[in-house]
Amino acid sequence: MTAPDPFQDLVGRPVGRDAPSVAPDPVNQPMIRHWTVAFEDRNPVYTDPEVAAGSRFGGIVAPPFMLQAWTMPTPTISGLRERGGAPVAGDGESLISVLDDAGYIATLATGSEYEIVRYVRLGELLSSRTVLESISAEKSTRVGTGRFVTWLTTYRDASGEVVGRQRFSILKFKPGGAIR
Amino acid sequence: MSDPYALIDWHEVVAGTELPELVIDVTASVIVAGAIATRDFMPVHHDREYAIAQGSSDIFMNILSDAGFCGRYLTDWAGYEARVTKLAIRLGVPVFPGAVLTYRGRVTAVARDGDTGRIEVAFDASTELGEHLSGTATLDVPVAG
Repeated sequence: MTAPDPFQDLVGRPVGRDAPSVAPDPVNQPMIRHWTVAFEDRNPVYTDPEVAAGSRFGGIVAPPFMLQAWTMPTPTISGLRERGGAPVAGDGESLISVLDDAGYIATLATGSEYEIVRYVRLGELLSSRTVLESISAEKSTRVGTGRFVTWLTTYRDASGEVVGRQRFSILKFKPGGAIR
Repeated sequence: MSDPYALIDWHEVVAGTELPELVIDVTASVIVAGAIATRDFMPVHHDREYAIAQGSSDIFMNILSDAGFCGRYLTDWAGYEARVTKLAIRLGVPVFPGAVLTYRGRVTAVARDGDTGRIEVAFDASTELGEHLSGTATLDVPVAG
């Protein structure tokens, strides 16, 4: 009989501390501009106050898929390589720490799904809460053995209303193959 | 000259309508700018040595950048009054510096609820290495008449 998979106990549990993760900064024009520059996205409702005011949005809105970026943890650049790319040192109890300790130290994103309930405006302070939705049995892949992990994140505005949801899937693996 | 972000006319859109191609000349700058703008500091997206040590051949584009380009691809076509309500993407081969990433897509369904039109799109983005991502999206647009 095969041993029960200890990772299945983590399904449904919050990722990280059991509290919403509040964005370090409210939705702001400089970060929106930075995003639009990176993708050469000249949609005027993101940066032109006049056009945005006359649009159905009534004012500047953030590109919808910035939702994940607003609540990304603020990184500490020192030690980035040593931590295997983790933005900050783990507390040893997060899902990622548990997977890292089991040898699945490398990460590859495999998919992302968004549901946008509404676009967000300048000045909004967003928060997110993420739970582990699923974790696969160990699989052998082109890049190494690993587990497919899917998280479900709910994004809320300052009043607690849901502004969007995201399902984010990654492969956590033991490097040994090749990312070609 | 007509407004490049003018609202698409929902009445002109049918299942099978093709979106204009979006071609991205991917350089290291594109990959790094996208990673940092999305606040993703994973070294595989900006540190070539680190990426190679992880088994890659070079730095590669992060998935948050894919979402950024998808958003642009959709509203470049549908216009600034369009609201993207859903996006789902699955990744294939990575995108490295030097790749030419081409987005191609078509409308799969069109519906209307009062003065709101809904458009569903299926698309993919490929480089010379193969399919980088495939995806679907839903937009809503104001409809008159």
